[in-house]
Amino acid sequence: MITLSEYFMTILITCMIVNLGLALYGVFFKPNLIKKIIALTILGDTANTFALIIGYRMWVAGVPSRPPVFTEWRSNNPLLLLVFTKTAVDPLPQALVLTAIVIGLAVTLFLVFLTLQAWKIYRSVDMRDIRKLKG
Amino acid sequence: MSYGEAFLLGITALAAIFSTIATYMAIMERDLLKAVIFSAIQSTIYAFIYYMLMAPDIDLVYIPVAVGLYPAVIIALIKKTTREEKP
Repeated sequence: MITLSEYFMTILITCMIVNLGLALYGVFFKPNLIKKIIALTILGDTANTFALIIGYRMWVAGVPSRPPVFTEWRSNNPLLLLVFTKTAVDPLPQALVLTAIVIGLAVTLFLVFLTLQAWKIYRSVDMRDIRKLKG
Repeated sequence: MSYGEAFLLGITALAAIFSTIATYMAIMERDLLKAVIFSAIQSTIYAFIYYMLMAPDIDLVYIPVAVGLYPAVIIALIKKTTREEKP
């Protein structure tokens, strides 16, 4: 017997898997280079979302989970730290995702300029035309 | 079992369904400008999902990059190249 929360979490993960499949379809089977870039951004975002879902913590005994930001560090109360570690979500995937977003931006800009160069040389951004022209 | 968590995750699941629709429209759209706009809608919904998954610090980076910079760069590319995707 699954709870309502697990049911909604399953819907979320299923939608993300469908998004991943759609983005992979766009990257592999769409001939237009700009469409490939759009699909690649969606693919990267979906992979980041999977990392965040892994780091998410369900509520423990009705206590809400909280962001991994410790704001009560001025008071020397170890109990606050204990409560924080019991309820906060995992910060490691968030740090990795933060890096991955910026790297994804750099990769996308690189691909955009490659596409622009392809347009300048071949006057086309369609893979079928470029393949035909190059021979 | 807490209904508060179920309520919040229900909203997140609903947003995920909408993001799947936006992704489908972005991948299948022939007009590239409309595809970029659907991709931006998908990114906005993802930002909401990140917020509900307790990652507000990711949102601070993700919103300017994915809703602002990606569409701006790709729209500039579309303006320099071609707008229609050949069937």
